[in-house]
Amino acid sequence: MVLFVVFITGLVWLLANVFNYNPDLIVFALLLSTLMSFGGFWWSDKIILTLSGARPADRQKEFNYYTVAENLAMAAQLPMPKLYVLDDSAPNAFATGRDPQHAAIVVTTGLLQKLNRTEIEGVVAHELSHIKNYDIRLMGVVTILVGSVTLLADWFLHGLRFGGDDEKGSGNLRIIMGIVGFILILLSPIIAQLIQLTLSRRREYFADAAGAFLTRYPEGLASALEKISADTEPLEAANKATAHLYITDPLKNNKGSVNWFAGLFNTHPPIAERIRLLRQMV
Amino acid sequence: MFGIALIVLLAVVVLYLWSVYNQLVTLKTRIGASIQEIGNQLKRQADLIPNLVASVKGYMNHEDKIFTEITDARKAVMEVADSGDAQKLVDAGSRLQSALGALRVIVEAIPQIQAAGPTMQLMNEVRDTSDKVMYSRRTLIDLTADYNIRIAIFPSSLVANLFGFAAQTGLKVPNQDEVLQVKPAETQTPQVTL
Repeated sequence: MVLFVVFITGLVWLLANVFNYNPDLIVFALLLSTLMSFGGFWWSDKIILTLSGARPADRQKEFNYYTVAENLAMAAQLPMPKLYVLDDSAPNAFATGRDPQHAAIVVTTGLLQKLNRTEIEGVVAHELSHIKNYDIRLMGVVTILVGSVTLLADWFLHGLRFGGDDEKGSGNLRIIMGIVGFILILLSPIIAQLIQLTLSRRREYFADAAGAFLTRYPEGLASALEKISADTEPLEAANKATAHLYITDPLKNNKGSVNWFAGLFNTHPPIAERIRLLRQMV
Repeated sequence: MFGIALIVLLAVVVLYLWSVYNQLVTLKTRIGASIQEIGNQLKRQADLIPNLVASVKGYMNHEDKIFTEITDARKAVMEVADSGDAQKLVDAGSRLQSALGALRVIVEAIPQIQAAGPTMQLMNEVRDTSDKVMYSRRTLIDLTADYNIRIAIFPSSLVANLFGFAAQTGLKVPNQDEVLQVKPAETQTPQVTL
């Protein structure tokens, strides 16, 4: 988070001083993009649920899921989140909502069919940990920041013709700074994305650990992840924008072994690694 | 200049005392609430039991011992359910849980009961109440640990002593000091004749 703020502040400074943009306009553009993204985050639970077509869970029909969520919410000292079910044979789950009072958990029918009660408990504990740690709020804010960076870079590149022509310092230094600045501007959306993805992976590991602490039984989530990763069907309702919310990458981008650089672009850590870490917990 | 610094320091100390006091009071209240929660869950379980026993009894004619044990354990739970004493609740609760566990083992060996939908549903509900009792007990243990840690560590221990917060006893989990042994009779599959 700090890295992000520093990064954006640096970017704005760069634009304002080296390229002589009016800081007021920059701030206005940032505000606008922030407001648009904020709306998406504030009503994230309603938006996601409408987009994915999930239905509320029924205690009789989805007894294991419902009672498991009741028990874990009590153990985590959280209000009971709203529970939804998505009709899709691909096993997956996600949590959404800006804070624990407005939270919702969605699981697919495929997940409920393929996992037993203990494994469902592991998955729900993982999702509840996301809610408890305000991960949805965190990723929402980060998305806003990434959007701002992309906006700034895009804006700059379009307005290249109208760069400032005041003389600031010697000509050579100005050219070098201009080139460095230009490269940074080009790379900034990618750097912002990488920071966001690293953060997303870190929070996944953290939610795994917190979920295991909640159930005191890491093997539940470990075997659930094993079963989920064995299934190779992509989830129809998901797309790149929502992929990071799910428990495993719904677009099935997790290859067996990914080289380090390609691995930086994953929203989720590799499943084998997650299972290994869970099984290491005694 | 010195006066302002002194006022600021005083304000910081007062705010710190205030926040730690509030945290300790909140934790203490939550501990009381979680003890009540254990009682509630046990009561809920006790309410389901007569129904369960009635529906399962028909399938099992020679297992009176287990039903007697369940009924006795249930009575013990109902006696302490409103007492607010965590240890009594947990002890009575443990007795009931092990009786219900024994019943479940027997039930799972009888295919006729497995096929009876509503009975299995009831059995699942009772098992879920056992889970809830376990989770509410765990919540109490976690909260008590949190509270006791806060009282023990420095500097909040000073605040605790100032306002007279005592350490909570928490729970002594049964069977902690005994070595669990499986008796040879328990390894035999229960014989049921219908």
